[in-house]
Amino acid sequence: MTDTLPRSSSLDRAAPSPTINLVHTGLGALSLVALLAGAYFVQATPGHGAPAALSLLIGGALGMAFECGRFCFFCIFRDLIEHRQAGPFYAILMALAISGIGYAIVFGAFLPNPSSGRLAPDAHIGPVSPALALAGLVFGLGMALSGACISGHLYRLGEGSGYALPALGGALLGFGLGFRAWNWFYVTMIAEAPVIWLPNLIGYGGSLIVHLVVLGVIAIALLRWVAPLSEQPARAMTPAYLRAVLLERRWNPLVTGAIVGAISVIAYLRIEPLGVTSQLGSLSRTALYHAGLLPARLNGLDSFAGCATQVVQTITTNGWLIGGLVIGALGTALLAGRFRPTRPRLGGSVAALAGGVLMGWGAIIALGCTVGTLLSGIGAFAVSGWVFGIAVFAGVWLGITLRLHRWL
Amino acid sequence: MNSSTLRLAGAALAGALATLAIVAVIAFARPQTNATQLAAQPATTNSAPASTTNAPREPRPFDQVVVSTDWLAANLNNPQVRVIEVSVVPGLYERGHIPGAVNFVWTTDFVDTVSRNIIAPERFQELARAAGINNDTTIVLYGDNYNWFAAWGAWVFRQYGANDVRLLDGGRSKWEAEQRELSTRAPSYPAGTFTVRQDSSLRAFLPDVLKVVYGEADKVLVDIRSPDEFSGKIFAPEGFQELAVRAGHIPGAINVPWKKALNDDGTFKSVEELRKLYADAGIDGSKPIITYCRIGERASHTWFVLSEILGYQVALYDGSWTEYGNTVGVPIANPAGTIWGVK
Repeated sequence: MTDTLPRSSSLDRAAPSPTINLVHTGLGALSLVALLAGAYFVQATPGHGAPAALSLLIGGALGMAFECGRFCFFCIFRDLIEHRQAGPFYAILMALAISGIGYAIVFGAFLPNPSSGRLAPDAHIGPVSPALALAGLVFGLGMALSGACISGHLYRLGEGSGYALPALGGALLGFGLGFRAWNWFYVTMIAEAPVIWLPNLIGYGGSLIVHLVVLGVIAIALLRWVAPLSEQPARAMTPAYLRAVLLERRWNPLVTGAIVGAISVIAYLRIEPLGVTSQLGSLSRTALYHAGLLPARLNGLDSFAGCATQVVQTITTNGWLIGGLVIGALGTALLAGRFRPTRPRLGGSVAALAGGVLMGWGAIIALGCTVGTLLSGIGAFAVSGWVFGIAVFAGVWLGITLRLHRWL
Repeated sequence: MNSSTLRLAGAALAGALATLAIVAVIAFARPQTNATQLAAQPATTNSAPASTTNAPREPRPFDQVVVSTDWLAANLNNPQVRVIEVSVVPGLYERGHIPGAVNFVWTTDFVDTVSRNIIAPERFQELARAAGINNDTTIVLYGDNYNWFAAWGAWVFRQYGANDVRLLDGGRSKWEAEQRELSTRAPSYPAGTFTVRQDSSLRAFLPDVLKVVYGEADKVLVDIRSPDEFSGKIFAPEGFQELAVRAGHIPGAINVPWKKALNDDGTFKSVEELRKLYADAGIDGSKPIITYCRIGERASHTWFVLSEILGYQVALYDGSWTEYGNTVGVPIANPAGTIWGVK
């Protein structure tokens, strides 16, 4: 079975090296120690402090969870669409369920009375418009073309993927195109679009019930496509077996999802909702600004909650998070023997770049990507998160039907 | 279609219906929200129910207008004291505030959300009562950005009749720098009895300002913006969207940038230093004063210094340059010679 699966399927992954590569293990441990040391020093740096340090650590944890659980939205969608394998999809459902429970608890403290019509501070609750659906569709096509979403490419950068860099470079270009297109979409569709937040209508308890019921219905509907589980023989808990369970085997989707959901709640409680495009988008915005290519006024862009971009000269908390994500993924990939630098082929690089452009464009119009708008949005009971999520899934489906993913 | 697909479709449909039912029950069982009540409210003007109590107060001792972090830390459990955070950055209060502090959001709790005006008196009274404030409560405000909007809040509280309004010296950043306790818990207090008594002497409108410009009133205009905004070299600091089509300042205004009233750590200078700072610029309190800036927020900081700390008679012109510089037919001073942004 595994032989017939294409390389990027999440069901199959490169088998870890039979022997432990000492150089890789040493470098992996070094990466994770460097992450901790980095957090320690950033914490003491004026202008950055504890929020930057915590963002770095949250990013590191996310990178480790993404890498060990192979939490890649594209691979998960593809397994379901192309291989009728729903198992990995439960990681997303679990992450959303845990996020929802945690967000409801945090919201209760942040905004005790949601019926006032206010939105919880900086939660990713966006306008629901045709532009959002279009952006999701384009983002999904970009995922199919480049083989992963933006967060997927970030953690694969840590695994040594040769296509991550062209894809992320494409995303930077795509952000720029998104900024150029923003004003038109804003005036025609986004400005008057409703910002629908479930707790405004039915409170936190009601929202959480609806949230869990919808996720539960999806989970039950997908059961038929879960592969039969094999019997687990009784095993002695030896260090070698522990290592195999923690590092070498793919984490159980439910475990991965729960960890990602918990990280998402911690990030919202202490720093800001999870997202991976804010700093990268700001890079593009700053470059365009200095090149004089940014529209003189981006109408309303900065008034929405989401993966906000700005013209910056410094590393934002989101920048530290992304740095931590890549280093965390690199560390675990090295330790687990999954660090396999690949040399990209030209055709594949072009496809990755083009996919990146589509994703970057979509992430600006949708005010975030699969992490910022889908995960942090649905977890926060925002209707915009569901619309984007469904559109992304449709985009990936369309991309796979058009066989865009075979160009890589 | 085989039976398992049918069963699946049935389950999905049942789930969707159950969801709908829950939404419907919860949505209809709830009482009407504030949001709808607010929307139904008629627009109110703030100038109507003015009971002008234009009596300049004796300056109160510095420590009864500006409180130190030490004083506040010792009075956190004092039922007579209510602490209010007014920060610009969203999420700042929620992720950790001075224990027991109530959150006031400047964009909704101190200003009208539709017309350009301060918040309507009835609505403000409602908010103050919900925060457990009585007319004799000691109100301590603090916030980010050097207390800009905390000072704006102090101005609104004073206009609506609160007598004991104080600022935390150094604002939020000093409290944080001293690594003092923060809490994420939203406090809840029994409703207060605060009743609005409007004092319109603290606010100036365009006609009041024009009387000074045309020499019909003997008052001092204080422009607290940066020298470059004052001269007309620039229209506004970088990144601010609300602008005027003309650059410059109100003729006759004296330029004392707001930040001169602060030490490097964001605390207020001493009363003697402040008195000298403004006296050297020709502002000694012998004449009534009108402060202004771009939209009124930084000028409320200088209003606080001159009115509350030094005890001068001061009104804030919150229309400020974005109203004045856009008004047809009023004279402006523009030493930099900028016209329509072009030399």
